[in-house]
Amino acid sequence: MIKGRVTDDTGVPLQGVSVIPKGSKTGVQTDKDGNFSISLPGTGEATLSFSYTGHKPTSVSTDGKSALSVQLERNAATLDDVVVVGYTSVKRKNLMASVSSVGAKDLKDVPINNVAEVLNGRLAGVTATTSEGSPDANVRVRIRGGMSITGNNDPLYVIDGVQVENGLSAISPQDIQSIDVLKDAAGTAIYGARGANGVIIITTKSGKPGRTIISYNGFYGVKKIAKVLNVLDPYEFVAYQAERSRLQGGSDSTGFLNSYGTTWDTLNVYKSYPFVDWQEEAFGQTGNTTTHNVSASGGGKKLTFNLGYTYNRDKAIVINSSYNRNLFNLKADYNITNKLKVGTSSRYSNLNVYGAGVSADNGSSSLSRLRNAIKYRPYTSNAQDVEDYTDPSVASGIGNGLNLANPIKLANSEFRRKTTNTYNVTLYAQYTISKNLIFKSTLGIDRNERVDRQFFDTLSPQSKSNNSKPFVTLDTTIAKTLSNSNVLTYAFAPSKDHNFDFVLGEETLDIKTESHSNQNRNFPYNVTANYAFDHLDSGAALPTYPRLNKSRSTQLSFFGKIGYSFRDKYLLSANLRMDGSSKFAPDKRWGYFPAGSVAWRLTKEKFLSNVTFLNEAKLRFGYGTMGNNRISDYLYLNTYVNNTRFYGLNSQVVNAYVPSSLPNESLKWEATVNRNWGLDLSLFKNRVNMSVDYYLNTSKDLLLNVNIDPTYGFTSQLQNIGQTENKGWEFQFNGDIIRNAQGFNWNANLNFAFNKNKVVKLGPGQTEAPQTAYGLSGASDYMLRIGQPLGTMYGLNTDGFYTANDFNYNPATMEYTLKSGVVDDIAIIGAPIRPGSIKFKDISGPNGIPDGKIDLNYDRTIIGNPNPKISGGLNQQFNYRNWDMSLFVNFMLDFDVYNANRIEFTNSYSPNSNLLGIMKDRWRNIDPATGESLIWLNSGKVYGVAPDRLSSVNANAQIWQPLISTGAFTPHSWAIEDGSFLRFNNLTIGYTLPVKSVNSFHMSKLRFYFTANNFAIITSYSGYDPEVSVRNDARTPNLDYSAYPKSRSYIFGVNATF
Amino acid sequence: MNKIATLATAFILLSIGGCKKYLDQQPLTAVGSEMVFKDVPTTLQALAGVYGRLAGDNAYGLKLALHYPVDDDILMGPSGNNDDRRGMAHFSLTSLNAELAAPFNQLFEGIMLANICIDEIPKMEMYSSGAEQEKKQLQRMYGEALTLRAQFYYEALRNWGDLPGHFIPSYIQASTEPFPLRIDKDVLYDHILADLKDAANLVPWRNEVAGIGDQVDERITKGTVKALRARIALTRGGYSLNQGGTVSRPSNYLDFIKIARDETNEIITSNQHSLFPDYKGLWKDIVCGRKTVDPNGELMFQVTAIGGGGTADSKFGYANGPRVNGAGNSFVNPLPSYLYLFDSTDVRRDVTIAPYDVQVNGISKTGMAITAMRDGKYRRDWISNPVVSPTSAVQYFGLKWQLIRYSDVLLMFAEAENEINGATAAAYDAVNMVRRRGYGLPISSTSAVDIPAGLSKADFFKYLVRERALELGAEGIRKYDLIRWNLLGQGLKEANDNMALMGLRSTTSMSYTYMAGYPTYAAVPANLPSNMYFRSAAPLPGGDNSSIWVHSYYKTNTNPGTGNTSVAWVNSSLTTTMITPTIPRYGYINFKTGKSELFPIPQSAREANKNLSQNPLY
Repeated sequence: MIKGRVTDDTGVPLQGVSVIPKGSKTGVQTDKDGNFSISLPGTGEATLSFSYTGHKPTSVSTDGKSALSVQLERNAATLDDVVVVGYTSVKRKNLMASVSSVGAKDLKDVPINNVAEVLNGRLAGVTATTSEGSPDANVRVRIRGGMSITGNNDPLYVIDGVQVENGLSAISPQDIQSIDVLKDAAGTAIYGARGANGVIIITTKSGKPGRTIISYNGFYGVKKIAKVLNVLDPYEFVAYQAERSRLQGGSDSTGFLNSYGTTWDTLNVYKSYPFVDWQEEAFGQTGNTTTHNVSASGGGKKLTFNLGYTYNRDKAIVINSSYNRNLFNLKADYNITNKLKVGTSSRYSNLNVYGAGVSADNGSSSLSRLRNAIKYRPYTSNAQDVEDYTDPSVASGIGNGLNLANPIKLANSEFRRKTTNTYNVTLYAQYTISKNLIFKSTLGIDRNERVDRQFFDTLSPQSKSNNSKPFVTLDTTIAKTLSNSNVLTYAFAPSKDHNFDFVLGEETLDIKTESHSNQNRNFPYNVTANYAFDHLDSGAALPTYPRLNKSRSTQLSFFGKIGYSFRDKYLLSANLRMDGSSKFAPDKRWGYFPAGSVAWRLTKEKFLSNVTFLNEAKLRFGYGTMGNNRISDYLYLNTYVNNTRFYGLNSQVVNAYVPSSLPNESLKWEATVNRNWGLDLSLFKNRVNMSVDYYLNTSKDLLLNVNIDPTYGFTSQLQNIGQTENKGWEFQFNGDIIRNAQGFNWNANLNFAFNKNKVVKLGPGQTEAPQTAYGLSGASDYMLRIGQPLGTMYGLNTDGFYTANDFNYNPATMEYTLKSGVVDDIAIIGAPIRPGSIKFKDISGPNGIPDGKIDLNYDRTIIGNPNPKISGGLNQQFNYRNWDMSLFVNFMLDFDVYNANRIEFTNSYSPNSNLLGIMKDRWRNIDPATGESLIWLNSGKVYGVAPDRLSSVNANAQIWQPLISTGAFTPHSWAIEDGSFLRFNNLTIGYTLPVKSVNSFHMSKLRFYFTANNFAIITSYSGYDPEVSVRNDARTPNLDYSAYPKSRSYIFGVNATF
Repeated sequence: MNKIATLATAFILLSIGGCKKYLDQQPLTAVGSEMVFKDVPTTLQALAGVYGRLAGDNAYGLKLALHYPVDDDILMGPSGNNDDRRGMAHFSLTSLNAELAAPFNQLFEGIMLANICIDEIPKMEMYSSGAEQEKKQLQRMYGEALTLRAQFYYEALRNWGDLPGHFIPSYIQASTEPFPLRIDKDVLYDHILADLKDAANLVPWRNEVAGIGDQVDERITKGTVKALRARIALTRGGYSLNQGGTVSRPSNYLDFIKIARDETNEIITSNQHSLFPDYKGLWKDIVCGRKTVDPNGELMFQVTAIGGGGTADSKFGYANGPRVNGAGNSFVNPLPSYLYLFDSTDVRRDVTIAPYDVQVNGISKTGMAITAMRDGKYRRDWISNPVVSPTSAVQYFGLKWQLIRYSDVLLMFAEAENEINGATAAAYDAVNMVRRRGYGLPISSTSAVDIPAGLSKADFFKYLVRERALELGAEGIRKYDLIRWNLLGQGLKEANDNMALMGLRSTTSMSYTYMAGYPTYAAVPANLPSNMYFRSAAPLPGGDNSSIWVHSYYKTNTNPGTGNTSVAWVNSSLTTTMITPTIPRYGYINFKTGKSELFPIPQSAREANKNLSQNPLY
């Protein structure tokens, strides 16, 4: 019987340290005072192994003693952790690359189901923006702001050594051991193609020899919408409709009388109408989320394994919207002989997402559902309940397809189910040829099948344009990726001082995609969605359907790396990668991507050996070139398809051959040159760790989908155009602020980054390239301009509104005419300018000076910058005895959001549509006190009461009259808002039961916790949420238009280990 | 080290072996041009792509047919003054108008697709060394592509003026000339006139189609090519708005009038085409009866419609024409002043104007006020083969737009002949044939409806201006006729003046200075009915137009009593809805000469190519 006590290097007793005699499979754990006792078989010497999370494992020989006192050294900064960088493993202390990591410890605090969300704000220079709040929303992960300006700025995902498309969707956070983000060329260049946007390396949990450990992680939570927008109440709504109807001619129109059954005199009846806030009806429900994760891991000398199953179920706050997922994973390693090792890391996931969501995938405004929740008439009549209510005043053929529908009815008339089955299989074999020479071959098979079923019943716009009968789209997309890498590594040390290592490898990547799409219409009325999906032939296929599209791309790469270190002090590394891609013409196919890096571990120098508080100091520099080829296949070829267009001849459909795009045979690799300077420090017994990085990246030959002159018959073409520059500083601090003997620990992790980018060059002779994101008006709203940051917002400058003083008044005719010298914006708003009309700033004119007229050619400027000056996050973890707590906040400061909702929801282009609450303070055309018309139009001229009266009624007007013409959608600076925010992202409080009390249930650990996600935000942004970007495109970021509102969730969970 | 070297060499060599082939991925479901321009059927599929850009919502399935060609002196678009399709109809649009970009882009897509066919077809091996029939079929397709390109350009030029010139495939031109300049429209017109001259030699006459092994369908034949060339020549020789802001015609305009005369003369003397004897039957049984072609070849260029969607079908009968069961847009409204321009026995009046809507039973009609009459050539209650249920929610009916009819050829001939040689017998013959058929009379016998003999050139022209209004109303032609005659502003004004007289029930006769006027019994508003009464109690199965009314259009009347419903006719409500509405309605108010003859270049196009300057005054 051996007794002992285990403490850390500061003398604090450690509870739960596992103590295992060498050669045995079972052991004991220390109690809360760090004490243990273990009976040893036989007598005499024995060796005990001590292991504890976050500490160096230690073996101690009993030496015949009966009482041991063991100190475990903190593994702080986990400097000896192994990081997988470029096909080989590197100890963190020897890293020459800029790497940020998240471990399982951080992941446990975040009971969410989307891995990408975990990354947001935790790592310097890494942002993960959820494009909207839906359960399967696209998460836009950007490393150092992204370099490319093509649609795809996503980093490369490598899971257990294999490149995986959509890497984050088919993996559960609970199964992840660590996430390492490689940010600079020293880390990413070896990945060559597609490494330009950074590389995210995910290592899943694997089994350890020993007892089989069963763990269960589960949680349940509820969620609510985080914010609703203020809209006009029934009385205010009808009052404005009266105002709108009286604008023409000054009297209530018959249309108004018919719709509202009243004139101004009796409008007060609407004060008693119950207010229906359609936002509450459509997204106000309480959602909930459930997750169960079970895993078994363990193994013996030969075989180790980790087997897991995760179930997620999520009912969103939007009606009819939910999500469920079943995920299986297996990781196993088997040592066949001492030299030959094989293994697998495989996953299968089945995901179902229900609900049509809020915005259409194509962003089409006519299909925006959010609009209905804001703009639909804010009350019901005739005692109809909200689910059946149809607004009689909503006409069906409003221009530009901006129809309104009851959002509840609309949601109930649309059914959508997206099913995704993902199979990831990774197999590897590793053969140790001789002691230092290892050959590893890895095969990755990735198959992603997505079936998207959509059913549109008679109320939906799709049905309306197809004979008002049920309409179905059913798309199946299969993506198959086969990858294979063969890598030789050789370590060579001619003497103690000199260490060499070599990597030589080859990799192939073969991606096949196949899509089958169906569109069928004219299903019988009252058919159910599921019946229609199963009986497509009960509807009629649209011409050219079903469609089949297949494509294949291949990539072949060779790479090599030489590393050298002198006395672990000076580190050098050089690598070269050649990538060949089938996406380019034969003479443009190969890209060469060299990189080199150096590092100097200052603490190995003699002159620092006396500086005791400094445990580690390392300077690094890396330089390299990387490529990007993430574009569609065959774009360099002139190809034709015959399944999109057709023409009728003799009443028969003739399928037409048309080119699929405007080919560009000179397409080539986009290249990014990356320079990174870094300093890593570890201080005070490794209790404080910090990294500082400065980087300067330039990308050229950007693969950009350029708007081209439509007289060429295409509106865009992919071209290698332009150059961007990205530079910035990143800081990362990690500190054990308090560790004391009373068992209180406080650990904080702070990161922040400053990133600046700009457009350096565009196409030949081009200084700017306007972009369109919101685009209802046809005018562009974003701009790529040389010298300016990427994705700047572009538009007119708002200048309040016209008042009576801007007009001459003729008391005899009561006519208002614009004074000369007052800016005229009729070209924009397209209706007679009158007191109360919105006003814009006159910036310039055809002669380069302000011309008194507002038009889009001379009066638009850059009106917003989407890039934050600084972004970052602070994560703090506290432990006190059995309690643990973490608080994570993240922030982004000084950046702009284009709140396009604000433009649409304050205009009255569609009659009988509601407005945001701010329009209560509008300029009034009816005196609210007397009901008298103040301004009216007749035959295109403006008439009104005397200016004094007009001004006195509107003395407190804050905002213009809602716009009613097409110009109502013109982008202007009022819609650009500062998005700065500080978000209380996550608060978790946990309690771990004492080991003794759970041991009796055969458990080794049992922890309960409570988490609040997204529980508060400090921001002045007026929309739903400032972290929004509905167009997943680097050129048009931060657009808030018809986004799915974000929710707030409260979660209760349990972690149990058996 | 040896080991490493051997191993490394081995696997690198292994990989490189298949490398070149491995990276050479060719399209799987898409194909290259060698597969498209391979034989006759595949080439026809490429040509179908060019034809296809004529069809659909953004071309002659809706917008180019109904939205773009209004308002003029006989028609107007619907009420409303927003900057949308309605504002477009009433000349109050801006370059941001959402109806501009899509048709603009689609016309140029058509040009791009035609350019590919024009480039590829003559290079095909079969084109030069195929069997005789294959060669003829391919020649025809080459000529069709030239003709279609001309049609797309013609439509673009007449709406937007000067434009970039694209006559080779975009994949060749776009990379070397990314920001093309606008080219003088006359240069482009000359190019397409020359193309059409070539095309006429490649395309067979209507009666030769079967002989080269092609099916008889809606495709272009030699008559189409020549008729289109005549039409474009008249436009080239007519008035147009220049970028300088002036409206003028070229000094050598007679050269172009001569082209029109010669081309139409060749069509007439070829005897390939003739008038379908029954004007109403042409529309009701052939067009609304969804027949492929008419036996006489009067329908010389039909844009087909199929598929029931916005891509390749048409909305005629829904977007225009009488509403059935309340469904429809009735976008096009004939002017009250136009109704009385027709003679009481002119069959064309009740074909062109449908003053009613149809009730849910599909039989009963509701009379419409004179300010809300529907255009009638495409009407849903006429559709057959098969008929459309009155409760159907369908919006696309597969009705074909008629781009050129033979009666237009006859009238163009008369116009050109008169310009060059005066009112000759041949010119008279051509107009009178059209007129006689319009009245349901034998086409070749002299009749009382013939236009007066011995007219001067100028007077003959006035009759011609009216005859084109009567024969071709609501076929998307009138506005462009008035522009090339430089009469659009005047036409809008005089129609407005005449409607003002109607609203006042004036005793002053309505008249036009630029065209032959009203029949005497219809010219004085005071003599016309103030209200009309339709038989609401006793629906007449199958009846349309005048059969629904109790009284004549031409005599004042009194209320016939129960069972009949009154609608406003020639009375003051015409003034309040048409002349002085609070929302400007009829385009007369917003029309500005030197501006409104052209549309603005769409904003989106100008942002992609800064070299596209804007049209005058926009």
